[in-house]
Amino acid sequence: MLLQLNNIFKWVNSGGQRIFLLKDINLSVQEGEFISIMGPSGSGKSTLLNVIGMLDNFDEGEYHFLNESVHTLKEKHRANLYKEYIGFVFQSYHLLDELTVKENLEMPLLYKKYKSSERKAMVADMLDRFNIVGKKDLFPAQLSGGQQQLVGVARALIAIPKLILADEPTGNLNSKQSEEIMELFKKLNKEGVTIIQVTHSEKNAAYGSRIINLLDGRKTS
Amino acid sequence: MIRNYFKIAWRNLLRNKSFSILNIVGLSIGLSVTAIISIWISFELGFNQFHEKKDRIYEVYNEYFVDGEIWTWNSTPKIMGSIIKKDYPEVESVSRYNYDNTFLFSIGDKRIKSTGTMVDPDFLNIFSFPLVEGSIDKVLEDVNSVVITETFAKKLFNNEPAVGKTVKVDNVDTFKVSGVLRDLPNNTEFNFEFLMPWNYLKQKGWHDENWSNNSVATYVLLKEETNYDAFSQKIKTLRQSYDKESPEMETFLYPYTRSYLYSEFENGKETGGRIDVIRLFGIIAAIILIIACINFMNLSTARSEKRAKEVGIRKVIGAERPLLIGQFLGESILISTISGVLALLIVVTLLPSFSTLVAKPISLDITNVWFWLSAFGVILFTGILAGSYPALYLSRFKPSTVLKGTYKKISSPVTPRKVLVVLQFSSAIILITASIIVTQQLNKVQDRQTGYSKHNLIYTIMEGDIEKNYSSIKKELLTSGIAESVTKTNSPITETWSNTWGVEWKGKSEDNMTLVHRLAADDAITKTMRMEIIAGRDFDLKTYPTDSTAAIVNESMVKLMNFENPIGQIVKDNGIDWRIVGVVKNFVINSPFQKVEPMVIEGAKAWFNVIHIKFNQKITTAESLANAEAIFLKYNPEYPFNYEFVDQVYAKKFDTEKRTSSLISLFTLLTIFISCLGLFGLASYMAENRIKEIGIRKVLGASVQSITTLLSKDFLKLVGIAIVLAVPISWYMMNKWLQEFAYRIHISWWTFVLAGLSALAIALITVSYQAIKAAIVNPVKSLRTE
Repeated sequence: MLLQLNNIFKWVNSGGQRIFLLKDINLSVQEGEFISIMGPSGSGKSTLLNVIGMLDNFDEGEYHFLNESVHTLKEKHRANLYKEYIGFVFQSYHLLDELTVKENLEMPLLYKKYKSSERKAMVADMLDRFNIVGKKDLFPAQLSGGQQQLVGVARALIAIPKLILADEPTGNLNSKQSEEIMELFKKLNKEGVTIIQVTHSEKNAAYGSRIINLLDGRKTS
Repeated sequence: MIRNYFKIAWRNLLRNKSFSILNIVGLSIGLSVTAIISIWISFELGFNQFHEKKDRIYEVYNEYFVDGEIWTWNSTPKIMGSIIKKDYPEVESVSRYNYDNTFLFSIGDKRIKSTGTMVDPDFLNIFSFPLVEGSIDKVLEDVNSVVITETFAKKLFNNEPAVGKTVKVDNVDTFKVSGVLRDLPNNTEFNFEFLMPWNYLKQKGWHDENWSNNSVATYVLLKEETNYDAFSQKIKTLRQSYDKESPEMETFLYPYTRSYLYSEFENGKETGGRIDVIRLFGIIAAIILIIACINFMNLSTARSEKRAKEVGIRKVIGAERPLLIGQFLGESILISTISGVLALLIVVTLLPSFSTLVAKPISLDITNVWFWLSAFGVILFTGILAGSYPALYLSRFKPSTVLKGTYKKISSPVTPRKVLVVLQFSSAIILITASIIVTQQLNKVQDRQTGYSKHNLIYTIMEGDIEKNYSSIKKELLTSGIAESVTKTNSPITETWSNTWGVEWKGKSEDNMTLVHRLAADDAITKTMRMEIIAGRDFDLKTYPTDSTAAIVNESMVKLMNFENPIGQIVKDNGIDWRIVGVVKNFVINSPFQKVEPMVIEGAKAWFNVIHIKFNQKITTAESLANAEAIFLKYNPEYPFNYEFVDQVYAKKFDTEKRTSSLISLFTLLTIFISCLGLFGLASYMAENRIKEIGIRKVLGASVQSITTLLSKDFLKLVGIAIVLAVPISWYMMNKWLQEFAYRIHISWWTFVLAGLSALAIALITVSYQAIKAAIVNPVKSLRTE
């Protein structure tokens, strides 16, 4: 078991009313799964993803990640946990504009205090694997959306996470680029990476092994 | 990691060129102003401080209670020095210092004029003026020995050894060079090229033991174990036992180390002096640096939304907060380092001009370790100070909020930023008002009627054979048509060299101690000076030989004496009865900023030092000068012809005020500029923050004009508050400053209107750029999310 959510609630208070963003979510994810979270706008998909990614807190419930009880951990420990095991992919890529492709890939390794020689090897490996060696010295603005997302995925993968969280990774891409990214996910999943993605598209969702539907913060299936 | 920080910081700089330039320019101006002022201050603080025994050196001062006020001054009778040496065992050494003497030195055909003075042999023991040649104890032993500076030695003897050579002084006395002094440093008050023994003064008969003739400085070196306070009590009554001539005076020792920075006294209390100016500019420097630093913070946080996203990404891919803080601090330290380098260039380029502006020989000593240490210290400190706010503030963002693009800062009614703008503009308005008022005051005084004509008027100091041949010189000047009029006086028309409370007249009350200035003139003074005679007549020795004991007084003197008809009255001075023959309109002789004090112009029987010549208007000045020089050289061949134009000398009276005026204008411009940078940053922050609001307003039909107004209004309100704050403060300050001058302007209301309006205009121009830029953005762009 990679992670388990038990009776997760998240709410905000607005105008004296409590509005639930997540309501009684139960979810367990095994290593090697490829899960798609679906649902209409405002149904809590991204919130759920952020909670899983430990970027966001929740108000009630239990969250176990690799034998750690996330809900009892302090902020700092939580951050260490996600840094070590989780890679993020975003709809709008969120690459650092001031850095080249190579440097963007190197960044997580720097933060994890890898040695220079190790970093070089890992970055070269990743460039190779994603077939973007020729683009290593370009800045994000010089790449197409699909290429940027490719770098985004590569960056999420470089520190060898156990889990990839992707928030509408193809939302800003055209259908051809989308397909490429989804194929990539499928391939990565086969290689053993656990993936949870949020998507609007039935077609993309079909790449996954399991689909979770959300409506108004509740799991419907 | 560090390399990575700087790489990113550098790229960030390049990517946001306008932002970086604003930041760097603002900061480097702040740093260079601080550096220049600090260099100046450290020069001033180090002035006179290089003497090894400085803590034991004192200057003798007198205190005198008159008209309910204590007067303090530092010139002493010549005899005082020897008395102190004789009577007080606590004293290690004493040296008198005669006022400056200018002599003509000659060797063979070479003639060089030089200024120096006479001192007691202990002078070189008290003060640290090292000898290159000669021994401290012997050089001033012999009456006809002279110690000269290296430069002067070179002038006299080229590169030959000077010691042992003889020189002729004023063509009469032969001196032997007994020692060579290293040239004086530029941070000493003393300014001599040679020193002669005090005994020479005695030999020439210039020494006197008159207690009422207070004309020389006396320096005392106390023994190491002497308690200053106890000794002060003891020496207080020195004059009581010796001085039977002057009224009751107290003697005290003033620490030499304070003489340069302080030594202004009011009613017996030390009230400051140069230190006031130093403090003022120290505060200005600090304010400018702080404003520049806060601007930097402002400009950095103004871009926080953009940086927030970056923080989010970095946190998500593993950055911890300390690392982010490090990154932002690294960026600001990079900027402050660049600014520091730029500031150093500015300092090196501008220091000579600043040195001229403040009239101090300040320079940058780049070999000084302290300079570099403090420079790096300030750069690091500025970088950390300026970077701390953005670093701490930005690194706090939560990735889940900022990455969603919903991050918005909620503005509170009184943010520190607004307070800052108010402060910046208040200082700008205060400085604008100050420059206007200082300039007005300066103009008013410069336009003041002096009461005599400076046109075509020169003076020359009498030296060598001039006095002896005066009548021939005068005759020749007049008959050759060079001069319209020639008058001998005791001091130049631009200053009095003598004053007294001892003048007596009929009906003068016992306790009247008003100081009366003395001028002396042999003949035709009002003709030479073109003064206006109100009553009576000018001196005219030819028609009235008794005019040698006649006097002319000014209006203030008439008022003081309170005679209905002053003509024919007698004023007693120096044992002579001077009969008043004329009254002249008040004329400015000392400070044009002050009121004209009572003055007696005494006739030909007095002492004379100076010749005034009114040139003939019909001849060009160059021609007159050439002809005059020929005449002077004919009658005084040993001396070069030296002269001063009265109008030029008079213009020098405004040097200090002109300097104040230029300094204030300079700092006004800088403050305005830096304030504008701050406002610009704030405006761009606001524009970025309200971009969505602007978009919505535009979609709903708002015009560019109405949005520009909306955005600018807030800032103009702040400037309005600044005006309200600044006006009373500047009125109070400038009013106080003007009190120093008896002759002064009245502060008029339009000064403040002008200052306020210019501040408003400057603010409007700065803000409207950003406001218009924000207002013309296509709402489609600003309303699009991700």
